[in-house]
This record gives sequence, C-alpha cells and structure tokens, in this order.
Amino acid sequence: MSHSYDDRAGELREFFFDTAQELLQQLSDEGLKLEKQPGDAETVRSIRRIVHTLKGDAAACGCRELSELAHEFEDVLAGEGFSAGTSLAEAVFTATDVFAALLKAYRRKSKLPSVEPLRKLVQALAREQKSLPPKRARKKAKTSLPATWSEYEKLAMQQAAQQGRNVYHFTVRLDPHCAMPIAGRQLVLNAMAPLGEVLGTRPETGSTDAARKMEVLFASDQPVGQLATRFHIPTITSEVQQELLLEAAKPSRKEPAKAVETPAMEPLEASAPAVPVPSENILRVDAERIDNVLNLVGELIIGKSMLQQAMNEFSRRFPKDPARARFADAMAFQSRVLSDLQRSVMKVRMVPVEQLFRRFPRLVRDVAKHCDKQVELTLSGQDTDLDKSLLDAITEPLTHLVRNAVSHGIESAAEREKAGKPAHGTIHLKAYHQGNQVVVEVSDDGHGVDVRKVRERALQNQLVSAEEASGMSEADLLSLVFRPGFSTAEEITEISGRGVGLDVVQSVLQRMKGSVELENHPGRGTTFRLKLPLTLAIIKALLFRVEHKLYAIPLNAVAEIARARQSDLHRVDHYEVLQLRDQVLPLIRLGRTAAEDHKIFVLVIHMGERKLGLIVDSLEGEEELVIKALDDQAVATDLISGASILGDGRVVLILHLPALVERFAKARPQEAGAMTSGLLLSHAERHSAGAIPAVGGQA
Amino acid sequence: MVTVLNREWHVVGFRVGRETYGVPITSLHEIVRVPEITAVPDAPPYVEGVINLRGKIVSVIDLRKRFGEKSQTPGKSNRILVVEHNGRLCGLIVDSASEVLKIPAADVEPASTVFQEGGLNCVTGLGKIQGRLVVLLDMARLLDLSGDKTPENKITEQARGAAGSR
Repeated sequence: MSHSYDDRAGELREFFFDTAQELLQQLSDEGLKLEKQPGDAETVRSIRRIVHTLKGDAAACGCRELSELAHEFEDVLAGEGFSAGTSLAEAVFTATDVFAALLKAYRRKSKLPSVEPLRKLVQALAREQKSLPPKRARKKAKTSLPATWSEYEKLAMQQAAQQGRNVYHFTVRLDPHCAMPIAGRQLVLNAMAPLGEVLGTRPETGSTDAARKMEVLFASDQPVGQLATRFHIPTITSEVQQELLLEAAKPSRKEPAKAVETPAMEPLEASAPAVPVPSENILRVDAERIDNVLNLVGELIIGKSMLQQAMNEFSRRFPKDPARARFADAMAFQSRVLSDLQRSVMKVRMVPVEQLFRRFPRLVRDVAKHCDKQVELTLSGQDTDLDKSLLDAITEPLTHLVRNAVSHGIESAAEREKAGKPAHGTIHLKAYHQGNQVVVEVSDDGHGVDVRKVRERALQNQLVSAEEASGMSEADLLSLVFRPGFSTAEEITEISGRGVGLDVVQSVLQRMKGSVELENHPGRGTTFRLKLPLTLAIIKALLFRVEHKLYAIPLNAVAEIARARQSDLHRVDHYEVLQLRDQVLPLIRLGRTAAEDHKIFVLVIHMGERKLGLIVDSLEGEEELVIKALDDQAVATDLISGASILGDGRVVLILHLPALVERFAKARPQEAGAMTSGLLLSHAERHSAGAIPAVGGQA
Repeated sequence: MVTVLNREWHVVGFRVGRETYGVPITSLHEIVRVPEITAVPDAPPYVEGVINLRGKIVSVIDLRKRFGEKSQTPGKSNRILVVEHNGRLCGLIVDSASEVLKIPAADVEPASTVFQEGGLNCVTGLGKIQGRLVVLLDMARLLDLSGDKTPENKITEQARGAAGSR
C-alpha cells in the first residue's frame, strides 16, 4: 500500500490535531493543579514539557503561529521562581484557550484568531522574571549530561538510547562568510533529519539568534564515522565536531523517575517520521469497519457451533477413531481464541466516560469564576464504558447541563450560608450501567427548581393555558422545562430561572433513543439523569437457571450468594423470607415453589437501600455479556433489560432488576401468593395447573 | 402487499396443522431449522421466545398456537420461516415448509368475500392451486400485535405506564 505524500501529510496533520487536543487537555489539568498548589516546580516542569511537545508538533505540521507562540510561552516557563503562582495558572488557562482556538482555525482552515491576550500575559511574566537568574544557570542535574540540555531533551536522549540508537553531541561551527546563519543552521538540521532524530539544538530551532555556533543533540542508528562528514556542507559549515554521549542499548537507569513521564513525550516522537515510532499507540479507525469485524465474528461463532455439531456426529459414528481427540483439542483451542477475539472486538468501540468527564473540572472552574461562585466538582464512575459514538453525542448536552448547574443551580456563597449550607456548592457527575442503559447524572446541591416559577414562565410563554396549568401535577409542570420555547435567548445570561435550552438536551437524547429525567428537591438540589439505551454494552453478569431457563443479572448488583433449602424459607403474610445471619431477607420467587428438601440458591441483591433475595435453581457462573436490545414489540417487557448471545450461540435474557423489584413490591398481599408462582414463568406455565415441563428447547 | 408478477402471486407455502398457508416471497428472509428457543417472560402465549439468528436476536411466533392448532408435535420437519417486514425480522414456527407456489391472480379470492369482518384479520385472500386451498397471509397484520393483546399483556402495559409516569 502506498500513500502519496499529500495523503501522509494530511494523515499527519489529523494525527497532530488529535494529539494536540490531548495535550491541551493535559495542559488544562496541570493548570488546575497549579492553581491548587501555586508554584509547584514539578507541575511547572510538566507544563513546560507539554508546551514544548506542542511546539514541536505544530512546527512539524506547518502551524507556524502556534509553534511560535508555544515557544514564547515555553521560554517564560523555563524561568525560575514564579512568585505569583496563580497568575501563572491563569496564563496556562489562557494559553490553553488560545492554542485551542488556533488549532480550530487551522483545522477549519479559517482565519486565525487573535493571540494578543496570551502574548501580553507572556510578556508580563517575562518582565516579572527579568531580575531572576537566567535559566541556563539552574542547578546541575545528577547525570553526566551537559547541563545546557533541558530535562525533556535529556529524557528524549535516554529514550533514544533505550531504543537502540546512539546519542551524539555535535558542535557545528558555521562558516564565517555565511550570510544567513539562521538559514544555515536550518540547512544543517535538514541534512541531519534523514539520518536520525534531532533531539535538541542550541540555539533552539526557530530562534532568531545569529550565533554561528550550533550544538545539536542527535540520535541515530548510523555508524559513527559517517555522520560528521555527512553534515559538513561546503560554504556553510566550517567545522563539525562529534561526541558520543550515550551508547545504544544501554538503558540508563540513572533517572528512573523520569521514565514515569514518558507519555508526555510520545507525540514528539511521532513528529519525527524518519525513525520507527514504537510508542505510537493511537489508531484512527472508521467505526463502520469495526462493526464489520464484529459481524464477522458473530458469523464465526455460528460456524463454530456448526462445526461442533458435526464433530458430535462424527464422534457418535466413529467412537474409536483416534482423530476424535485431535478434533476435540483443535475445537477447544479455536473456541478459546474465538471468544477472546469477540471480546477484544467489542472493547474496541468502548471508551471510558472519563474521556468526557475530564474536561469538566476546567469548565466548572471557569463558569464558577465567571459567576463568582464557589463550586466543587466531584466525579464518579469514570471507568464506565460507553460506545464512542454515544459519548460524542452526549458531549454537548452534558456540557450544557453542567454549565447550567453552575450558573443557575448553585446559589452564591452568601445565599448558601443563609440557607445553612456550606459556602462551597457541589456538583457531582456520575456514570453507571443500569441494565442495558448507561446513566450519566449531573447533580447539584443548589436551590432546586421552583415549580411555581416554572408555571409562571410556561403561562407567560403561552406553552400551556391557565386552565391546563391548574390541572397539572408537579411532575407534569416540571417536565415543561424540556419544552421548546420554555426559555428565550435573553435568559441565557440571566441567573434567575433554569431551563435554558433544555429542549435541545432532550431532543439530542431522544435522537439517540435515550431520555433525560429531572429529579427535583426544592431547596436541596437538582439531578439531571441522562439515560442512554445501549445496543452495545458489556457487563459482567452472573448466569443462573430458573425452571431450566438461563437468565443473567449484572454481577455488580449481587451482594452475596446464599445456599438454602426450600424448608429454610419462612412465609410472612404471603411473602417469603429467609433469615440470613441476623437479618431477614424478603425473597422474590422467579420460578415455581419447589419441593421441601429441594436445594436452592438465593442471590442477595442491593436495590438502593434495600436488600432482597432472588430464588434461583442453579448457578451457571459468570461471564462478560454483550447486551443487545430486546426491543421487538412481540417480546418487549420491562422485566428484561436486554439479551445476549453466549459463545455457543445460546440466547440469555438479562433481567431488569429495578422493574422486577417494582413488580414484586406492587403486588398486593393477596396477589403475592400468586406472585410466588414466579415472575419469570411463561403465560402457559403460570396458568396451567402444576407441573408442565418448561417450554423452550424444541427440536 | 403481495407481489403480483405477471399476474401471478409468488408465495412460500407452508403447513400449519392440515392447512397450507402462504406468505409473499418478498417478505421471506430465510428458512431455518428450529434452534433452541429462549422463552421470554410476559410474552403473549403464542410468542415462543427469541432465537439467535447469526448474532441477531429474533422473536419467534408459533403459528400453530396463533392459529389455534390444538396439538403441536415437535417434529423433524418443523421449520422457522424468518420473515421481514418494515426492517423488522420475525420468526414463524410452522409444521413444515413446502415449495414456492405460483398462483394465478384469477385464482385468488379476496378474504372479505369469505370471512366476516372480525374473523381471521391477517388473511388477505384464499388461493386455489391444483385443487388445494392456500391461505394467503398479510405480513403487516400478522406481525402487528398491538391489536390483539392478551389480558396479561394489558396488565404489563398498565404496569409499564404506571412505572413511566412516576
């Protein structure tokens, strides 16, 4: 496969934009850290590394303005002793924003935005540190490396050495008659590029310093002798000295702490196409291609079960054939690989919700600052996996809700103290799996929604007539905030009412066949719950049998598993209970009542505060299940949250525990007796008297 | 609904009980042997459950129950006709699947002339071929189950409604 140069350049640019986003995210994370611990040297260093990487990448992709700006910023950061730590954090945030704006402009090929705010800040910082000693005079590092190289350059040297390349130090003197020393230095670097990787230069690349002496850190796997002569360019260079700094394949262990910081360096290497890139681990793949692979894996699994059947028949016919064992071995091997394959492909599409959550600390900080409020953001469930396309789709709505929660949900510090709440408002972002849904919650502990105001607004905007409004329940009134036209443009900046553009949130969620709920506690806060139905989600599930039929529930819902006999169960007012150690557990019967001495299993599940037991016949073990929606109207039921296909082609139903518990709780006592005949029994089983063998398993 | 090609009805014939039925060949996705069926709680009685059709989960209706056949003997000739309607797949369990039948349009009588209103509402017509009677089925009505909920399903609907309004 060959790509034209343009293709590759385009790909490189795309890659740069992706990594740059990641870098900006890191930058903003570090900025937040710096704000909490002003002047933390380690954080400043890491910020400098990030900016440096960005600079290099930007230069490689021809984003000159960005590269220059990053360079200026980096220079300032290289200074020492920032007394005003907060203002540095501010500069980091400004830099993040300006860089982001620049990147966006590059990507869209539109007009570049103004970079003045950052320039000014950088200049102010530079003035501040004028009096301080220059950066080269910093204390010597413990290694034998020349002190003039910065830490990231040293790190790059060590990485290069570990990757089996020699690291050289070249001192290049330019010919005194060379008219353009800056261009001359560039020419030398150009000559070097095909033979290895330039790790660093003094003066730095892009510097307008007219020095005629250049020092270059260079990593290469070329033999020693060739290099110096190759770099000699007549009429430009007068002398090239070379010195071997680090020899290849001798991993330096002198600075083990630095190894931890490797991730920040990856994109830098990616910008040097002349060398192999072992640590590049991001691949951009069209989602459709992955789906194709997924479907093919599905077909393979069917193929496997066909093969298995043929095998069984063969074994029956030729029970003594020695090939049987070999077949069986091969089958076992194949099925193991196949299930690994399936699982791996599934995981390709899933990304942790953390990717989305991590942008919010900065957002909350900015909005809170703007509104002059004290808001803390807490996160949980960041490792919840979500399909990438869904994650992208909920980014906007979620941002909207978080912004809303800060500006409208949380009260000012004074108001909060008056209400007896801590001055700090809290916003909590949470993600979790619920059956075949992923739920993302945004909760705040603000003043909640005032239902009366909602009604006023709805009447004012003529969403409902006064007559209709009087007949509406509180829940109905609350749902009005999701109506289009509830909010108007001028209220976006107003702090009073809520519901700015919530109709948009709802329409986005509906488009994804999800929903948004509002849980309101007047005076105590609001929770918005985004529910995303998943056709593709993986849960760890516990498999069990009821009436010979296989079911599954999410493993994380199971608190414990108890063994019991039918005779251990007690009956309290039509409800069955089990005494488990010192507590009495209400039981939900899924199948039919068994004989007295029958052994059963009780799955103890957590439902909010409550604990309940599910009576099941036998356990089948745990397995990772890929949930498929069971949305065909013929079989749709709230008891089942989805289905999954096991490795051997069997279909297993995944129970929707909240609905199960609700059904159980709703049953009136006299019906509870009927309920004990089993929630999962089929129509025929429940209505026919006694022992009809389980349906299913035809053929 | 039914494709008329050269004034002929092309249908896939199958047997349920003693009768021969036909569905338009254009609605047919494939015919498979009856695999293991996973029963679904709360489903109407004639919904047998769901099957795995190469990674797709497809619900299966037992036409023998749907058409009120008393005895359902599982046999080797039992098949599932997987039909497609409006992008939705559905399996129909039949006693046996036979050949593709070509019935001249002239030999098809509209159902309305045979059945009173409110009778078998998924029958579009009766075809006659070589002295045999073929009951032609309308996929849309056959698969549209909203019209004939069983009492139990109505309870489910109410329960769901109650759950939803909270």
